[in-house]
Amino acid sequence: MIELVSQSRCISCNICVDVCPTNVFDLAPGEAPTIARQSDCQTCFLCEAYCPVDALFVAAEAHRHVEVNEQELIEKGLLGAYRRNLGWGKGYSPKDRISRLRELRADIDANPYFSPITSPAH
Amino acid sequence: MSIKNNDSGLDLTADVLVIGGGPAACWAALAAQRNGAKVIIVDKGHLGSSGALAASTAGSRVIPPVKELRDKVKFERYALGGHLAQLEWWEKILDQTYEHAPKIYEWGGYEPPAFKEGRPAYGGGLQGPEIMKIMRKQVKKVGIEILDHSPAQELLVDDRGAVAGARGIQRQENRRWTVRAGAVVLASGGCAWLSKALGCNTNTGDALLMAVEAGAELSGMEFSAHYAPAVKHASVTKNAYYRYASFVDKDGQLIGGASHNGHRSTSTIAKALLNGPVFCRLDQGTEDPRFREILRIQQPNFMAAFDKVGINPFTDWWEITLVLEGTVRGTGGIRIATEDCGTTVPGLYAAGDAATRELVCGGFTGGAGPNMTWATGSGNIAGAGAATYARSLGDKAATRNVRAVGGAGLAPATSSSTTFDANQVVKEVQEEILPFGKNIFRTEAGLLESLGKLGQLWEKVQTTSALETPQKAQRAREAAALVAAARWSYFAGLERKESRGMHKRLDFPKLDPNQRHYLAVGGLDKLWTREVPVPGEIVPEPTNSSTSVYASPDVAKLDTTKLQVQAVAS
Repeated sequence: MIELVSQSRCISCNICVDVCPTNVFDLAPGEAPTIARQSDCQTCFLCEAYCPVDALFVAAEAHRHVEVNEQELIEKGLLGAYRRNLGWGKGYSPKDRISRLRELRADIDANPYFSPITSPAH
Repeated sequence: MSIKNNDSGLDLTADVLVIGGGPAACWAALAAQRNGAKVIIVDKGHLGSSGALAASTAGSRVIPPVKELRDKVKFERYALGGHLAQLEWWEKILDQTYEHAPKIYEWGGYEPPAFKEGRPAYGGGLQGPEIMKIMRKQVKKVGIEILDHSPAQELLVDDRGAVAGARGIQRQENRRWTVRAGAVVLASGGCAWLSKALGCNTNTGDALLMAVEAGAELSGMEFSAHYAPAVKHASVTKNAYYRYASFVDKDGQLIGGASHNGHRSTSTIAKALLNGPVFCRLDQGTEDPRFREILRIQQPNFMAAFDKVGINPFTDWWEITLVLEGTVRGTGGIRIATEDCGTTVPGLYAAGDAATRELVCGGFTGGAGPNMTWATGSGNIAGAGAATYARSLGDKAATRNVRAVGGAGLAPATSSSTTFDANQVVKEVQEEILPFGKNIFRTEAGLLESLGKLGQLWEKVQTTSALETPQKAQRAREAAALVAAARWSYFAGLERKESRGMHKRLDFPKLDPNQRHYLAVGGLDKLWTREVPVPGEIVPEPTNSSTSVYASPDVAKLDTTKLQVQAVAS
């Protein structure tokens, strides 16, 4: 569920208030939106994906509240990671994902992988 | 502060009102507009991020009109679905999808996928969030009016019983909206009973309740027990990668039969889960690091659930559960009664997961491709049909006498002093419908017991006093829809006395050839079913279509042609 609206990063653009499909946030004029209905969060990560400044963190835990530490999330590269992986945000493009997929596939076709493990995993 | 009355609300008119905010709704709106209609589209959440696709991803089956290629798709689930699909419908849907689906790439500024043997020759390209962002942009570009955060609550019906619009609330504005329209397309998704299946909590069966209140019928509601494996702590119900999974119990013993030739056995996993925890990792054929990177790039949402908690899904064991996806990836929904995706009620059309997908998938899941294809095809057909119907009404469309026909969970005009705790009702419905012990392994006694409890809940949700916030009003109406949808599912499940598709009866474990029919279901206080014949005999499978596109490739060989197909389909 949504666990963090970073007060230092948020620019009060309120995009998250608009895009959240389950209406979890409330607008707070001049301030960062508040997480008003956390238990309605469906853990779809879309607010994170749309946040232009990577101020939001949706924890993977869908059914219970967990404590998160903003500094730790930054250090682990987790703030904004989903947005980048979608190819969204400045310096990224979904087209790069597609190119990389094609590249990898072409490489696998040209150089098939031979597993060093000769027997199946089990 | 209660919701303001009509006087201060939005009053709008349109030729076609589309209810929903996913791909089927967008396609319907665009098709209606292309056919000359003035269109308004309303969504419960935000068009572009609402619904099962936006949070996830899915690919349409874009297949040129070549018999051999289309046969592969048509017969892929024909037997699995108990031969309830209609191959002529598949052909129509594939025609529409072939024509329209590639436009997404064009609108988004992407190079369209190269086709190889009629299938996109690369996959994993566009994710759900990107597809829906493009669709919103296009809907706006052509001038269609969008109302976000504006859940529809009830339909408007004219004096002769034709649907003539809808009304609802704008939950962020705290006011009502009313749209009078020549025709309405219901495309607001299926029902996953607030299970938190990925992106599905906006899909609370509202369209089913609105349709039945207006006199429409549902079909295939017995095929509503679709469960997806999911990381136990999270919401990510993406299925595709479990074909690379090993499943073990708490002692590390492999669970036999959980995954076979790329087909996952939900009931095997369910049985194991009833005996204790089940763990999983993606270690079958995923040794090549380049392939792991492909999997990461293809489904960033699947990987997010692991990355955020520091699990390596290829090497670490993680605990799984089964999450109900209900009719979203089941096939039950509003019964389609006409060739243009009309219902049994004039002026009312249905598309996407709100409609039954039995016409293409029978009683088998429509997940991993067919549902998305259906959304594209049925959206386009319904939108065009609704525009044509609205035009036939001429000038009188907007001046008709109308009345709102919603009931359960809504505050009546005459004030009511009784109310109910919506969250408690949701919890009690979930206790009957979410446990796979009840929903997958069905028996007459179990279904009757659940129906008894659900019947009591239905009585409870009939009246409510005016609620102080739009959120509470909306949750009350959703609770009523969840109860109604659960009752239709279990009642149809009770009446289908056999096992077919995803409907499994422990007391009738075999398919009965004499029950190859649809079950229409409806009714509010008193439920009913009736048999609707499937036209034509069972079509024999073409002998040369043995290579099902659903059958998984031998992953150890890394057959990349097929992997690309899987990636698009997943």
